[in-house]
Amino acid sequence: MDRRSAIKQLFVLAGGMMIATSCSTNTNTASIALNNVKFTAGDEALLSDLVDAIIPKTDSPGAKELNIHLFVMKMVDDCHSPEDQELFLQGLSKASGLSDKPMEDRVAYLSALDKDDVFLNILKQRTIQGYLNSEYVMKNKLVYELVPGRYDGAVKVEA
Amino acid sequence: MANINIDSRKDRTYDAIVIGSGISGGWSAKELAERGLKTLVLERGRDVQHVKDYPTTNLYPWEFEHRNEMPYKVREENPIVSRCYAFHEDAAHFFVKDKEHPYIQEKPFDWIRGYQVGGKSLLWARQTQRWSDFDFEGPLRDGFAVDWPIRYADLKPWYDYVERFAGISGDRDGLPELPDGEFLPAYPLNVVEKYFKQKVEAKYSSRKVIAARCAHISKPQPIHIQQGRTQCQNRTLCQRGCPFGGYFSSNASTLPWAAKTGNMTLRPDAVVHSILYDGDKGRAIGVKVIDRNTKEEIDFYAKLIFVNAAAINTNLILLNSRSDRFPNGLGNDSGTLGKYVAFHNYSARIYGEYEGLLDFKTVGRNPAGGGYIPRFRNLHRQETDFLRGYAAGFSAWRSSHADRSGFGDDLKNSLLNPQLGNWGVGSHMMGETIPKASNYVALDAQQKDDWGMPLLKVHIDYDDNDEKMKKDYLDTLEEMFQEAGFTNIRRDDRWQAPGLDIHEMGGVRMGNDPKTSMLNKWNQMHAVPNVFVTDGASMTSTSTQNPSLTYMAFSARSVDYAVKEMKKGNI
Repeated sequence: MDRRSAIKQLFVLAGGMMIATSCSTNTNTASIALNNVKFTAGDEALLSDLVDAIIPKTDSPGAKELNIHLFVMKMVDDCHSPEDQELFLQGLSKASGLSDKPMEDRVAYLSALDKDDVFLNILKQRTIQGYLNSEYVMKNKLVYELVPGRYDGAVKVEA
Repeated sequence: MANINIDSRKDRTYDAIVIGSGISGGWSAKELAERGLKTLVLERGRDVQHVKDYPTTNLYPWEFEHRNEMPYKVREENPIVSRCYAFHEDAAHFFVKDKEHPYIQEKPFDWIRGYQVGGKSLLWARQTQRWSDFDFEGPLRDGFAVDWPIRYADLKPWYDYVERFAGISGDRDGLPELPDGEFLPAYPLNVVEKYFKQKVEAKYSSRKVIAARCAHISKPQPIHIQQGRTQCQNRTLCQRGCPFGGYFSSNASTLPWAAKTGNMTLRPDAVVHSILYDGDKGRAIGVKVIDRNTKEEIDFYAKLIFVNAAAINTNLILLNSRSDRFPNGLGNDSGTLGKYVAFHNYSARIYGEYEGLLDFKTVGRNPAGGGYIPRFRNLHRQETDFLRGYAAGFSAWRSSHADRSGFGDDLKNSLLNPQLGNWGVGSHMMGETIPKASNYVALDAQQKDDWGMPLLKVHIDYDDNDEKMKKDYLDTLEEMFQEAGFTNIRRDDRWQAPGLDIHEMGGVRMGNDPKTSMLNKWNQMHAVPNVFVTDGASMTSTSTQNPSLTYMAFSARSVDYAVKEMKKGNI
């Protein structure tokens, strides 16, 4: 069965059903409940390494520690077209050899992908989005104000 | 059994019925209840109570499952509402989904609806400018539609009245085309908006750039505190419902106020099927309702009926109110019901950058959204090859940018240290459209919705006048942008369907002559004197200004008249 018909069948099967739960005993499924895309535990582990290659741990947490790979999976699952989901899974599958490789190899692999590569673009855009909108960054780095309580339209920029 | 029926009918009898709880219905309800009338407010959607029923209001961005983005499946299933700028995870529960409430588009029309207590008053863009005699005299001067049966002086005291209660922020700019009101302090223009104002006003004597006027409490007055509302906290998350009551909505303001009188009964989940007419009395006697959940049919009775279902649905209800006397819809002796529907042309925008004033930025968020350019085209005399004109929004913002090209430490460092870029500037057009008989809504003869209401056919389109006006807007704004030294100017004239402006108006228009209009100068049906229509359906023409404030003023004015007439025994 090719990937396309596999995914199509999956859609028929899924229909809003939860494929897995966080307490699933099946070790070959992702740790979060998804609606459409079947990510395996291996996919999840690989994605956690890839998001960390994009935004690594430094003196502050990296994307893996902030669970951005779970966000990427969630967004691919719910917010992308079936076509993009398929391309994403294909791209992820091609990257599977990176599981055991050092960080430098992962960065090198991603950097070498075509700039129009759908897998790369989804992965990178969603990683950046998830990181910038994470509780950690919005509370500690680029602080988001829920209640600004003010507007000043002419503030001098500090040199 | 007979007695039970009599009692039951008594229980279902009120002094007045208001159909709809949105921005105009809320006002009708408040004014009726304050005057001591036992008032039933019918709302087709579910109840939404202020604060309690704003589930997303205090959520941070990371608390949204999809960071406020609508899932693919929802967008695919609901292409119409997905085109609305405010349809995101934080407010999706306040929008009608396409599938739930179908209609027939004989021409593309994006009908954006909010079926809940408060209606679209929870979701509106809160821009509030008065209309002037340049608007009310427009049809007469330029020979379209019919003459408005009122002038600005008729409405002025009611603008004063509703503004004080609602809380409207703005500057007193002294412009006859945009009359000043009872304003709270304005949200001032930012440094680049001010710069643009100076450039424009120095070059063109007839063009102004002013601070946008909006329904936000910039400085609460005792009347706002009494409503339990307080100062706007600049969240600009208004579409979620505001826990501060910082902007005006029926939920935060008029409905609780009406409830406090003890005279209002609010009945959510009540889909109005039709208005009941008694041919012997020559009056409407009540309203037929279908319960949204049980589909049960219930009649309610009242001496006075206010129709505030929002423009298109008001047309639908009246078209569906058929009797021997009115086979083509209630009060439709003129044959104009459903016709002369118009809207605002929002189909062009223009963007640019400004590379000056880079030693300034903004802090916080501006609930007014920036600046407003009142209509200047064809204002005092006809000067172009199209009728009427447009107003425009104008705003400037300074955002930060990060280089996203790399990977790893470099990327992370770049993301966490964004750099201020040039100023962005943008404008959107708000064009008046000409009401025409060929722009209409009508009932489908066969298809019905889940509540047994005929599906509405919508037949509304742009015309040549709109196209010419749009080109003039783009050319004119581009010239003004160039004059201000803006760079990287991008014209955006991507088409959008009528309706997406969410300013649909007309179909039940006011006029002096019962032969060519539905309502008189009091928004009272020529042919059925105890029925009043004070929402967008009643508009004879569209002006270029945002309409909601005018619906509020019409509602308050009409109730005042109706209750006086009732006391005189004329209704």
